Amino acid sequence: MSAPEAREGRMVDAALRCYPARWRRRHADEAAELAALLIADGTPAASIAWSYLAGAAREWLAPRPGRSLSTVAAALLAAACLLGFSAALVAESAPARAAGTTQPPSGPVPPKIKPMPPSAGSSSPHQFTPCRPVLPRQVTGAFPAAGYSQLSIQGTAHARSC
Amino acid sequence: MTAREQDVLRRAGEASVLVLVSLADGPKHGYALIQDVKQFAGVELGPGTLYGALDRLERLGLIESLPADERRHPYRITAPGAAALRAHLDSLERVSAAGRLRLQLGGV
Repeated sequence: MSAPEAREGRMVDAALRCYPARWRRRHADEAAELAALLIADGTPAASIAWSYLAGAAREWLAPRPGRSLSTVAAALLAAACLLGFSAALVAESAPARAAGTTQPPSGPVPPKIKPMPPSAGSSSPHQFTPCRPVLPRQVTGAFPAAGYSQLSIQGTAHARSC
Repeated sequence: MTAREQDVLRRAGEASVLVLVSLADGPKHGYALIQDVKQFAGVELGPGTLYGALDRLERLGLIESLPADERRHPYRITAPGAAALRAHLDSLERVSAAGRLRLQLGGV
């Protein structure tokens, strides 16, 4: 068996494994045989695998004597709730992360100001203070609460004071 | 029982009807069914759709599986399956006749 044939076979086998065990016990062998015949006939393996995948989905969702319609509906509802809950968590955490960013993505940017010696600035109205990063404060009102914008504002103000 | 109630294939889907029509002239396995349906209806049944229909029809008792020939299972229509197909085709014929008559009357 060549490598592409083996890959096609694996694709179909993977799709067949998606069926419920009851179905696999009953039809898996003949379904694999049919897939081999169709592939030999020129049908793309991907389309066969896709058809089996869709069939597996229908098989899981179809109501069975031992699996009432309400059970299927409850399973679908639970899946939808889980999906919605996860989506809500992601949506909530994304703005929180953005607001919590206090540094630009590339790391802190040191102010490019040369410090003056203490003696030279003693009579100046501006007292010498060593340049150091300032803890970010929440800016309310004028600017959106995005961390990067806040840092830019504070960095500029700090540079002036130096 | 009304004709509508007798037509158990009404909700079974098009693939099930095509499979029953194909099996009406003798037992066939999956590959032969796909080829036959393609020939008489111009519909290419996917293998997933085919096995869905075979499984459904078997559970309804309308077809039965024969002993396997190597890995292939031939399927055969049962007596209730033949009756269900007949009822469904009668129903389709009535709808078809009504549709044709109304098209004629309407002059469309």
